[in-house]
Amino acid sequence: MREALGSALEEVLGPGEVIRLQRLPGGASKEAWAVDYRLGETLHPLFLRRAGGGVIYRDTLSLATEFRILQLAQAHGVRVPEPLAYFPDLEGREAFLMRRLEGESIGTRVVRRPEFERARKALPQAMAEELAKIHTIPLERIPFLPKPAHPPWRTALDLAYQDLDGLAEPHPALEWGLRWLLEHPPNPRPLVLVHGDFRIGNLLVNEEGLVAVLDWEFAHLGDPREDLAWPLVRAWRFGEDAKRLGGVGEAGPFLERYNALTGQDIGEEELFWWEVLGNVRWGLGALKQARRHLKGEERSVELAVLGRLAAEMEYEILFLLERHG
Amino acid sequence: MDRPTLDELLEAVSEFVEREILPTLQDPRLRFQTLVALNALGIARRELTLGEALKGEDRQALVSLLGVEAPLEELLRLLAERIRRGEAPPGTEAFLKAHVARKLTVANPKYLERYP
Repeated sequence: MREALGSALEEVLGPGEVIRLQRLPGGASKEAWAVDYRLGETLHPLFLRRAGGGVIYRDTLSLATEFRILQLAQAHGVRVPEPLAYFPDLEGREAFLMRRLEGESIGTRVVRRPEFERARKALPQAMAEELAKIHTIPLERIPFLPKPAHPPWRTALDLAYQDLDGLAEPHPALEWGLRWLLEHPPNPRPLVLVHGDFRIGNLLVNEEGLVAVLDWEFAHLGDPREDLAWPLVRAWRFGEDAKRLGGVGEAGPFLERYNALTGQDIGEEELFWWEVLGNVRWGLGALKQARRHLKGEERSVELAVLGRLAAEMEYEILFLLERHG
Repeated sequence: MDRPTLDELLEAVSEFVEREILPTLQDPRLRFQTLVALNALGIARRELTLGEALKGEDRQALVSLLGVEAPLEELLRLLAERIRRGEAPPGTEAFLKAHVARKLTVANPKYLERYP
C-alpha cells in the first residue's frame, strides 16, 4: 500500500516521501487513512478514502462520484477538505485523496466541551451559510446524479418501507410514524443538491466555528428541507436536548439566515415532516447497523447495541406526533 | 445451577471490565468500545431481571387491543400490519407509547428521564 500510494502521490504532488500511513478506525465498507507526505521542506497532511473489501452499502455514492461532488462543492465556495486526486485503482480498489484539516468532529465534544463555546455560538449561522451554498449549486452542473423519478418524500418513504421489511422484525412504532408521514405528504419544493447527512458529527469544528462539511457519500438530488431538518433530530443533539439545532442552537435563526441567503420562504413548521422522517430513518439506520453485526458483515458490540437503542428514536417519533396532535 | 447466578456472573464480568480493564486502556477507540460493551452487559442484566414481566405486560395489552390470543411476536406483527393498512385499532397510540417505554426500561432507562 505504501509503495502504491507513494508512486500515486509522486504524480499528484511531485517526488517526495510517505512518512506516515495510518489506517483510521471504523468503516468496513470504506477505509480511511491518515497520510503524511514530505515534499522537500514541506509536510503535506493528507486524508485518503479507499473502497473496503467488505459489503458495499446500498444508496451510497461511489468514491468517483463522491470525489466529483466534493470538487463541485469546493468550486462553489462550500467549506470542504480540498479534493486532490482520484485513483481508479490503488492496489486493486478505487480511492481518493483530500487535504487533512485540523478540527473536532465528535458530536458529544462539540456540544459539551468548554473550548467549543464560541464555536457553538457561531455554528447555527455557519450551518445555514454552508447549506445555502450547497443548495444553490446549479443542477445543470450535476448531470451525473440521477433525477428522482418520484417526489423526494415518496422515494424516502418507499426506501424506509423497504428497510423496515428487510429487518424481519415487527416495529409497530416505526409503522405508526411512516403511516402518519404517508397521510400528510409535504408540499413540493424545487429539487436541490442535498448533502444527505448534514449534522453535528459530520461537521469539522475548531474553537472559532465551522471548518469543513464532511461525509458526502449520501449526496443526492432532493428536497432542501431534508438537509434543514436532519440536524434537528434529537439523536444529533448529543444530549443537549433543549437546543433543537444539533445541540448548539435554535432552529428559527438558522432557518431565517438560510431563507435570507437562498431567497426561499421555508417555514419552520415545514421542517416537522422531515424531522419525523429523520427519526424514522435513523431508527431504521440503527436497526440496519445491528444487522451488519448479526449477519457477520462487521462484528462489533457498538453496532450490536444499536439494535436496542433504536427504541429511542421510536419514542421520539411517538412524542413528536403526540405533541403535534 | 449452582451460584453464582446468571445475574451474579454478569455482574462479576462487568465489575472486572470496569475496575481492572478500563483503567488500563489508553486508546480512545478501545475505551469507547469497552464502555459500549459494559452498556451491553447492563442491558442484558436489566432484561434478565425485568424481561419476562415486561413481555407479559406487552402481551396482555396487545391481547386486549387486538382481541386476539397469540404469542407476543405474532401480536406485534399483527399490529404492525394493521397500522400499515391504516386500520390501527383505537388505543394504538397509547399502547405504542407504553410498549416503547418498556423496551427502553431495558435498553436505556435514563433516556426516558429526558422527556416531560
